[in-house]
Amino acid sequence: MKANVRRKEGVRGFFKKVYKYRVFLLMLLPAVIYTLIFSYYPMSGIVLAFKKYNYADGIWGSPWNGFENFKFFFTSGQAGMVTRNTVLYNVVFIFVNMIMQIAVAVFLTEIRNKHYRKTAQSLMFLPYFISWVVVGVIVFNIFSSDYGFINNVLQSLGFEKIPFYTTPKMWPVILVLFNLWKNIGYGSVMYLAAIMGIDTSIYEAAAIDGANVFQRIFKVTIPMIRPTTIILLLLSVGGIFKGNFDMFYNLTGNNGLLYNYTDVIDTLTFRALIGSNDFGMASAIGLYQSVLCFITILIVNKLVGKYDKDYTLF
Amino acid sequence: MKNRKKRLLALGLTAVLAMGSLAGCKGGEEETAALNEDGTVDTSEHVDLKMYLIGERTPDFDEVYDKVNEVLEEKLNCSLSVDFLSWGEHGQKYSLLFSGGEDFDLIFTATSWAHYEQTVAMNGFKPLSEDFIKTYAPDIWEVVPEEAWDQAKIGGEIYMVPGYNHEYTQDVMAIRGDLLEKYGYEDIKSMDDFKDFALKAAADGIYATQGGFYYQYFWNQGMTNTSGTPFNGELILYNTQDPEDLNFYSILDWDGFEDYCKMAKEMADAGCWSRDTLNSSDDRQTGLLTGRCASMVWNLATCKTYAKQANAEHPEWNVKLCDVNAGQPRIIKPYINGGVAINASSKNAERAMMVLNAMYTDPELYDLTYLGIEGKHWEAVGDDQYTVIDESGYGVDSNCNWGWRNMDLTRTEYIEDRTELDDDYDALLEEWNNNIKADHIYDSFTFDSSKVTTQVAAVEANIATYYNPLINGLVDDVDATIDAFRESLKQAGFEQILEELNRQAEEFVQSKQ
Repeated sequence: MKANVRRKEGVRGFFKKVYKYRVFLLMLLPAVIYTLIFSYYPMSGIVLAFKKYNYADGIWGSPWNGFENFKFFFTSGQAGMVTRNTVLYNVVFIFVNMIMQIAVAVFLTEIRNKHYRKTAQSLMFLPYFISWVVVGVIVFNIFSSDYGFINNVLQSLGFEKIPFYTTPKMWPVILVLFNLWKNIGYGSVMYLAAIMGIDTSIYEAAAIDGANVFQRIFKVTIPMIRPTTIILLLLSVGGIFKGNFDMFYNLTGNNGLLYNYTDVIDTLTFRALIGSNDFGMASAIGLYQSVLCFITILIVNKLVGKYDKDYTLF
Repeated sequence: MKNRKKRLLALGLTAVLAMGSLAGCKGGEEETAALNEDGTVDTSEHVDLKMYLIGERTPDFDEVYDKVNEVLEEKLNCSLSVDFLSWGEHGQKYSLLFSGGEDFDLIFTATSWAHYEQTVAMNGFKPLSEDFIKTYAPDIWEVVPEEAWDQAKIGGEIYMVPGYNHEYTQDVMAIRGDLLEKYGYEDIKSMDDFKDFALKAAADGIYATQGGFYYQYFWNQGMTNTSGTPFNGELILYNTQDPEDLNFYSILDWDGFEDYCKMAKEMADAGCWSRDTLNSSDDRQTGLLTGRCASMVWNLATCKTYAKQANAEHPEWNVKLCDVNAGQPRIIKPYINGGVAINASSKNAERAMMVLNAMYTDPELYDLTYLGIEGKHWEAVGDDQYTVIDESGYGVDSNCNWGWRNMDLTRTEYIEDRTELDDDYDALLEEWNNNIKADHIYDSFTFDSSKVTTQVAAVEANIATYYNPLINGLVDDVDATIDAFRESLKQAGFEQILEELNRQAEEFVQSKQ
């Protein structure tokens, strides 16, 4: 699309350009159509956030409702808390995951034994395919106070049981660990690919200059994968106001005792609206999250641009 | 640079709007009246109807409904296909059927647990006028009592055909007989007895029950839920045992709630149930059947089923049926606890209503959907009883036939080798049938929440945070948590819901005088 409007040379020039780049434009077409259909077209559903939806009138015919749909979220008295939880969890997830994924990718490349490397990589990748529902059951069987693995061990060793499901403070740690466990393999593959793309002659030069392992990692590998790191960071910042519903709901369920530490925007919305199925209110919260995400990504992108223009997303 | 971006944005927005307006076009279908000149209903044109039920499709379901279709083809010149929304997904998919414009005619519904009020609030069901019912379902009109139609009314209109069936609201308990004997009880007939029993069991290291029992408690106090109000009506109760008492007892100021929460905390702290109860996904019978719990709570028939199962596996347990509300007049469940509605956009609403009429009142069809195929699944004993031949393929009363239950046609089971449980069951049922409570005017009242949807959503957002831990006795400081809960409810607009409720209730009472 950028190519279409690059220069103001009048209509003639435009068509000339189109003709000239016809092969490229044709190749671009599927992606453009895909984005329009699956990303832009559904955006028109935003109107739902401002409507009192009913089945008979449908999305377009239902009466307008102003900002009424947003109200429940703020009068529930939990809006501040869940927004805070959502952002904090996401910030921690992003940074912990990023650091650990890079670390794993670096370790894997440093390992010379190919079989060990491949096996380790596959094993770490596996949890990514386990659904959060299953993880929820695993977590319950580890932490429950009656039949949980940890409490059974504690009990047989003669220690006091730890009531995890009534102790909210434990959960940020548990959630971060399980999120990491599930995503570390998948994320590290991206960094691994970036590291594989580094020109080996740079490492050879470093070796000739007498660089040791740590210098090789911190002076060559890490700086070379910085573009990948920043792009991945920007992409994940785009979802910073969206809680991972699958994870939070399956791991902590309807346990209100933990909510101060575990409730996120998505789980709150789910609970508030599962009874009434109000599409308008659900869309309103979706819009609230999207707008905040949009603002965040604009700001972060700008900041990255200040640092180096080449690293920005747009 | 900036200009370019702006232009791109404008282009994108235009495209979005263009597509949006395309999607906005939607044709409307006109209803067709289908009466012959002589007043009988014209069924000369063959139609295919579709019905949605809730639950799982049993192995022999299709075979049974082939037979149903044979009858329908002959009598009403139509066929009926059935799709199921499974137990796990109906919460999400029910509303999608309507918003997605799915083409179907009939659907099972029920107050609170099966989406009746919510779907009505969003115009999903066809309003059924008295004329419409009398014309296309005259036999149903004969059978269903006026009270049931009243219950189905929301804002003055009927949106479902309620089932005609007496189910008792108050649940009972199935309790381990060996433990009762051990702690010196013959039977448990009151809340205090149960609490003592539970504490003794807990001291012995066995959970008494799977979690709190607020329902048993408020029934014990004569209260019951106000249908249509937030969270299944648990937050606003009325004194159903006293027809003179027209007050609502809301969780904001009902003292019983505080008393209960304190008792629940005492019991939870003593170990009467697991600390993990809020995260447990066990079914209600799991605790009893696995021996982790001394009791289970459910309706009489289900308790009997699982008590039998438990006794078959562990004869030494000698599980018994106990009623902690013994002697109290019985509440009959609202008729709208199971019914069938017609999709507002159904093209064959008239024929659909006629099919429903047949399933509801034709003995042959009724037996088919209730029991399965005669000779394969069941055998008749006299005119009003049956014995089971094979329950594995279809199952008695377990195929979401609950939308057209009709007491007049329901056969009872004939049991050959009776156990003590069967005798207890019959004795309890007999006692209850003779002790049905007097009508309370609110029994047939359903709150219409469409004017306070914001408040309801905000209130429901707070339930799991405070209410669930409170009724399971898992909070550290009961008074402080109750205060915080009430404060958050007020902020969420609970008082406006109460105001609206009182207004509607007053109107309802006046319309009945």
